[in-house]
Amino acid sequence: MPERTIVINRDIQSERRAAAEHRRQEFTRQKTFVVNLVSSPGAGKTTLLEATCRYWKDRWKIAVLVGDLATQRDADRLRPFVPVQQLTTGGACHLELSLVEKGLAKLPQEHFDFLFIENVGNLVCPASHDLAEHLRVVLLSTTEGDDKPGKYPKMFRTSEVMVITKMDLLPHVPFDVDRATVDSHLIRDSMEVITVCSLHDEGIHNWCQMLERRREQLFSEVDVPCST
Amino acid sequence: MHEMSLVRSLIRQVDLIAAENGGGSVREVSVEIGPLSGVESELVQSAFDQVIAESHESPMTLTIRETPLVVHCLQCEDDCEIDNFIFRCLRCGSGHVRVIRGDEFRIASITLDERVTHA
Ligand SMILES: Nc1nc2c(ncn2[C@@H]2O[C@H](COP(=O)(O)OP(=O)(O)OP(=O)(O)O)[C@@H](O)[C@H]2O)c(=O)[nH]1
Ligand SMILES: [Mg+2]
Ligand SMILES: [Zn+2]
Repeated sequence: MPERTIVINRDIQSERRAAAEHRRQEFTRQKTFVVNLVSSPGAGKTTLLEATCRYWKDRWKIAVLVGDLATQRDADRLRPFVPVQQLTTGGACHLELSLVEKGLAKLPQEHFDFLFIENVGNLVCPASHDLAEHLRVVLLSTTEGDDKPGKYPKMFRTSEVMVITKMDLLPHVPFDVDRATVDSHLIRDSMEVITVCSLHDEGIHNWCQMLERRREQLFSEVDVPCST
Repeated sequence: MHEMSLVRSLIRQVDLIAAENGGGSVREVSVEIGPLSGVESELVQSAFDQVIAESHESPMTLTIRETPLVVHCLQCEDDCEIDNFIFRCLRCGSGHVRVIRGDEFRIASITLDERVTHA
């Protein structure tokens, strides 16, 4: 049978990427700064969000979407502080934009200054899924080892900030903050590194300042009128 | 493991492309996968074989070409291929580099069995 070869050269994610880009622009117009938190399971994403809410209190309007395979546990922890929706993936190892949209529809329809999306604990698959965030933050806890950036290059390459968590455990574990920092800089030269102990509200000031600074940068850029 | 959902999406897109190009059954799909694509070639291959065997009408085959990771240096403007996930320019050592190849999971081409109408 005769055959015909058609050249395509199209990324299979190109439509999804375009949709995420479109959504990101919408968030920007609404002046909602969207942060996607990624890490291995238990690195301290929810605890960091609890500390963030404690620190800011009513300073900013915050909403949280939190992804897990099952249960409402993380949403229950954050509900005393802010509007929150649990996204249960039913087994999937990462969040996708469609799930985020569903969660957003269930949040109060009001303006938020910050939207935090806590991804499913996993250092692999969430790296490939753009959730229309402005900032991707990867958490690395001191109990995981300082060699992780190089072992999960895509996750660390696609993140702009690395938060080293559980700093209170440093005396008990062989974790070298400098080594983790250097390793992350081989993957991403411009990685901003922040150290925290969310349990005792340490480093949260720096973390929150970084978020405010980046939000301001983004929106002042947006405010600049187009020069003709 | 998200290869399965990506492979399903791949097959949907291939069927769509085939339909847009006048139909005919797809004999072969060629894809390119980079080291920073977030998928593993072998897992893509086995997910593909599984989906085709379970559900697809035509027995298409998948050819995977693994592409290199190439960065563009914003300091010296050189392009270089890196193979160790150390994102540094091999010429000037700058870390101010942009990935220009290697993060793709791309459909390169598809080969269709041409429907021939005999007079
Ligand atoms: N010692 C110490 N423990 C912490 C700290 N932050 C979090 N933890 C503990 O680490 C465990 C996991 O924290 P979570 O905040 O639930 O982690 P997570 O990343 O949200 O976990 P998943 O959503 O399941 O992926 C809990 O027992 C926390 O109390 C910290 O700064 N120091
Ligand atoms: Mg959590
Ligand atoms: Zn260079």
